[in-house]
Amino acid sequence: MLQVRGLARRFGGVTAVAGIDLDVAEGEFVSIIGPNGAGKSTLFNLMSGLDRPDAGSVRFDGVDVTGARPERLAALGLARTFQHGRVFGNLSVLDNVLVGAHTRLRAARPAVPVLGALLELALAAILPGSVRAEERALRADAEKILAMFGDRLLPRRDQPAFGLSYANRRRVEIARALALRPRLLMMDEPTAGMNETETAEMQELIAGLKARGQTILLIEHKLEMVMRLSDRVLAMDDGRRIAEGPPDAVRHDPAVIEAYLGHASMGQAEAAE
Amino acid sequence: MMLGPWLDYTVNGLIIGNIYALLAVGLALIFGVANLINFAHGSVYTVGAYIGWASITFLHTPLPITLLLVIVGCGLLGIAIERVGLRALHGRSRIAPLLATIGISLVLDQLVQLICSPDPRALPNQLGDRRFQIGGGTIGTLDILIAGIGIGSAALLYLFLRFTKLGWAVRATAQDQDAARQMGVDTDRVNMTVFAIASALGGVGGVLVGMYYNDIDPNMSFDATLKGVVAMMIGGLGNVPGAIGGGLLLGLTESYGIALFGSSYRNLFAFALLILILVAAPNGLFQRRRETPPEPLTGTFVARSRPVRLPPWLVAGAVVVAALLPLTNQPYLLQTLTNGLLSALLALSLTLVAGTVGQISLGHAALLAIGGYASGLLALDLGWPVDLGVPAAGLITAALGTLLVYPALRMRGHYVSIATLGIGQIVALVILNWTGLTRGAMGLTGLPPPEIGGFDLTSVRSVYWLVLALVVGIALLQARLLSSHLGRAWRAIREDDVAARSYGVDANRYKAMAFAFGGFGAGVGGAITAHVYSYIDYQTFSATLSILALTMVILGGLGNIVGAILGAVVLTALPEMFRFAADYRMLAYGLVLLLLIRYRPQGLLGTV
Amino acid sequence: MLDRRSLLAGAAAVGVASFARAGRAADAPAIVGVSGPITGPMAQYGAQWKASFDLALEQSKAAGGPAVDYVFEDSQADPRQSVAIAQKFVNDDRIFIEIGDFSSTASMAASPIYQRAKLVQFGMTNSHPDFTKGGDYMWSSSISQAEEQPNLADYAVNALGLKKLAVLHLNTDWGTTAKNLFVKAAQDKGADVVATEAFLPGEHDFRSTLVRIRDANPTGLVLEAYYADAAVIARQVRELGLKQPIAAVGSVYSPKLLELGGDAVNGMFTQSNFFPDDPRPEVQAFVKAFQAKYGRAPDGFNATAYDTMNLVIALVKQFSATREGIHEGLAKIKDVPSVVYGSMTFDPTTRRVAGAKFERLTVKDDKFVLWDGTKPNLG
Ligand SMILES: Nc1ncnc2c1ncn2[C@@H]1O[C@H](COP(=O)(O)OP(=O)(O)OP(=O)(O)O)[C@@H](O)[C@H]1O
Ligand SMILES: [Mg+2]
Repeated sequence: MLQVRGLARRFGGVTAVAGIDLDVAEGEFVSIIGPNGAGKSTLFNLMSGLDRPDAGSVRFDGVDVTGARPERLAALGLARTFQHGRVFGNLSVLDNVLVGAHTRLRAARPAVPVLGALLELALAAILPGSVRAEERALRADAEKILAMFGDRLLPRRDQPAFGLSYANRRRVEIARALALRPRLLMMDEPTAGMNETETAEMQELIAGLKARGQTILLIEHKLEMVMRLSDRVLAMDDGRRIAEGPPDAVRHDPAVIEAYLGHASMGQAEAAE
Repeated sequence: MMLGPWLDYTVNGLIIGNIYALLAVGLALIFGVANLINFAHGSVYTVGAYIGWASITFLHTPLPITLLLVIVGCGLLGIAIERVGLRALHGRSRIAPLLATIGISLVLDQLVQLICSPDPRALPNQLGDRRFQIGGGTIGTLDILIAGIGIGSAALLYLFLRFTKLGWAVRATAQDQDAARQMGVDTDRVNMTVFAIASALGGVGGVLVGMYYNDIDPNMSFDATLKGVVAMMIGGLGNVPGAIGGGLLLGLTESYGIALFGSSYRNLFAFALLILILVAAPNGLFQRRRETPPEPLTGTFVARSRPVRLPPWLVAGAVVVAALLPLTNQPYLLQTLTNGLLSALLALSLTLVAGTVGQISLGHAALLAIGGYASGLLALDLGWPVDLGVPAAGLITAALGTLLVYPALRMRGHYVSIATLGIGQIVALVILNWTGLTRGAMGLTGLPPPEIGGFDLTSVRSVYWLVLALVVGIALLQARLLSSHLGRAWRAIREDDVAARSYGVDANRYKAMAFAFGGFGAGVGGAITAHVYSYIDYQTFSATLSILALTMVILGGLGNIVGAILGAVVLTALPEMFRFAADYRMLAYGLVLLLLIRYRPQGLLGTV
Repeated sequence: MLDRRSLLAGAAAVGVASFARAGRAADAPAIVGVSGPITGPMAQYGAQWKASFDLALEQSKAAGGPAVDYVFEDSQADPRQSVAIAQKFVNDDRIFIEIGDFSSTASMAASPIYQRAKLVQFGMTNSHPDFTKGGDYMWSSSISQAEEQPNLADYAVNALGLKKLAVLHLNTDWGTTAKNLFVKAAQDKGADVVATEAFLPGEHDFRSTLVRIRDANPTGLVLEAYYADAAVIARQVRELGLKQPIAAVGSVYSPKLLELGGDAVNGMFTQSNFFPDDPRPEVQAFVKAFQAKYGRAPDGFNATAYDTMNLVIALVKQFSATREGIHEGLAKIKDVPSVVYGSMTFDPTTRRVAGAKFERLTVKDDKFVLWDGTKPNLG
């Protein structure tokens, strides 16, 4: 489904991503690990259209989407979460999730060239039955997604997101991504800053997604989770691929161990395991 | 060859550019550290000129002492602005400090006017004027001093920033206030220092320029701010050496513009250059492309707030009361309210664009001008009946407004504000200079009154009802749009356009839709205003009205529909209510504004 | 006798009076409504008006004149405020005439309201040619540019012998009208206008504009500007090394021109319908009184405002302090003594005054003096 070839991105002197190849097949669960600054998030940005690569290509479903605009990638069914959380603070939890469903609007966003925007404006003002029905269906679906997080989010669905706890904001991120009904779901450290119970809960949820056959690309520092869920792991350091393969193989790869020992912060993560 | 005049134009461009550079350096310094466009900078410059004038006139000080007094006076003023006006707003929202500087500027200008009288004053050049022949013209000692102070202060600043501890702290703060604070930098002190330096520089600029023209008056601040901001923008926001380059380039552009097309085109050239730079090199000419913006935790653009939910019966009741008001015989009240409601049409449009979509437009009054001229010209030149012309003007404004703002759609934050400020100025200047179509400075006279189905609405009562109906209609429509997926998309763009785009919300398209809808309402408002006044010219809808509209929107609460109407009515009525205060009323207005920003930055009814 | 009927009528009268809130009591003074700038960018003009109004009323009172007073509402010369003020005035029964606003933008926006309410709007500074076309209640004593510009052209072309002219004008309705009329008159008198340049209010940098003008090789410069702009322009003209004589429209006539212009305005030619050294007794009386009250010399704006208030007093004396009285009176009144015109009589069809007097002046040794007839050296 996703084919990345020779992707590279430099920031001034730093080469954040240096020629990464990556394939993700339909229904596969691939994780990306690597010490801080390895270039994982940058790789995500390049694949989701937020940043343009200096070299290399990205194909999604056989279509070349190298340097495509993020809107287009979203429309193709690619959804991502952000490492540091980018929920819409002044929007309610439910509205946050509904924004995720934006690409699924059909009746409200007629695919007419040139005059489409005007028509969309007019439809929003008139609100014909079809638009209303669609909105109702999306709302119901969004609530279903919120329900996946138990009663963490559902009771707070009408509260503005800025008032949520950190963990809850991460959950909203994921709920919003799910609302896109993504063909490929990309998550950047979904459990960052969560305590153990919360992490376990999140792991359950992600496992559930995998069980449903969701194609997933995950960046995660918590190796236990990576090992349990992944079909395949890509390890990066200094923008390069240092290992790739089944979780167990990557875990015991000397290059990976070396990279992690070289970085104090990840040494702790290893020790915590 | 005709090299002679071009040398002169170049020299002249550099001379005026020098002055712009001096202004821009102070603005850039403050922006670099506080991430704030200081709209009070021009006022500080004016205060500096007046301190200089007072010390020369009353104390008979020689030049070095005069400058010293100005430096001390304006430095203290800068500290006061930071300490009293801005510090408390820190971390509230990015818009609050910007507005506060607008409020401060209003207060300072009024104070200068009250204390020193509005008359222009002569500010004698203490340097003695020796002139040197260059090409066909001359430059004087003062020109050289201004250039020296501009470049010298930039050099000193550079050394200060590079090689002193406080300078290091300033740079650290400029990079990241929070990180700097965590590293033990006293950011408050840094901000204060920066305001003191920048203000002292601004004040010195004011005296020197005042001496240069031998003419100072309390109204010189707006132009100074405007040109300073443009120059800074050309050099790159917050780029101190860039500001000098920006100032000089702006001066040269104006000078060559005059050379090619005549003096009434100079500002057109200045603002066209601004837009060009914003589109082609948004980080200024002297900076490389900035990388993807850092990820914010949540939207920080508008103040976080829970909007006040007004019970529907209350709103409905207010509308009924408003509709019944004309039955009491109070024409003055009605006229004031009509003015308020006409402003509300502008405020509704702006609250959508600035509040809901987060595109802080500083040139919104241009939409009124387009609407007014469109409807007026349709009536005068094509003989259209007014009731046809007004909606047509709304459509024309929607189309033209969206088209004009098109270059600004892909910009973010402050860039949008400055671009719209420039576009607004361009519209006014085109109206002024396109004499063939708009009758130029003469304005449109003899516009017919508003009409419905052939009946002229001449009484204040009927116009009031018409405008009230329009406001209610557009407000309802806007509320409906906000509750649809459009409202969601718009607000998502405001909160975090990167995240919104990642979820398929085509930011440019939705911004354009907001400008189109907003343009329609504002265009209709401008058209009706034109017909009620029977006369408009390019100053009827001036830049100050754009700023006023923004304060209305903030007062009501960004994006808040009822708030925008309330803000418009209150801010139209407030100066009327302060009439008893006569000379002091604009001062009172400015103070009320400052208090509001300080104690209720989310506005009366809260951000939606 | 108090019967129920008269009680009722009385109560009704009280009711009506309180509704109309501003009903005039028999002995209260009649009030002139003034709409003008006291704050904002044009505040200085409002202040000048006030000074002259106060002087005129004080003198009239001392001489046992009619009880007239004025209310000054600050419009900031902003149309949004001038229309509100207009509603306030037209619904205030005490007000029998309105003066202002300062700018055409503000005045003409309010005109429909005054016209419909049949309250005379006296735009003493509104030179926009369409101002008095707003209706038969719009009157103005502003110097007609149609009269002034041919005079200035005659001064510049015939008297001073300037045959190749460059014109710098303010880009407003006033400046544009003035420029057009001047150019036409100058050309009729056989002069060449080799350059016209417009500038915006508040502009301070004219250096590049002047290079353009220099390269057009005029023998003289003509300024259609106010005093502050004229001073700044004159300084830059001289700094650029241009030696040509400068002639300017009457509105530069102000002591401030000398203060702001310094050396550079020496030798400037202008004309004024108000000149403090004018030996006419009405001028001397005004200048002395003004100097005594305010300690400074009056300028043209002071003179205009003084004339206007005296006109109002004369109207009240000869006709009545009612709206209709003023409207009729303006058409009929003859030869009102005036500082600016000598004597004022309105043309009832244009609703303007004709016959302004122009004194030819020049600046010599930092003072305005009557021009002695010497032509400038065009070498
Ligand atoms: N916008 C940018 N400008 C300059 N350098 C950047 C930018 N974004 C990332 N970098 C640099 O690129 C490198 C890779 O960063 P990236 O965020 O991709 O790492 P990461 O693997 O996601 O790290 P972490 O585990 O901390 O999230 C780092 O050295 C970082 O400093
Ligand atoms: Mg990362």
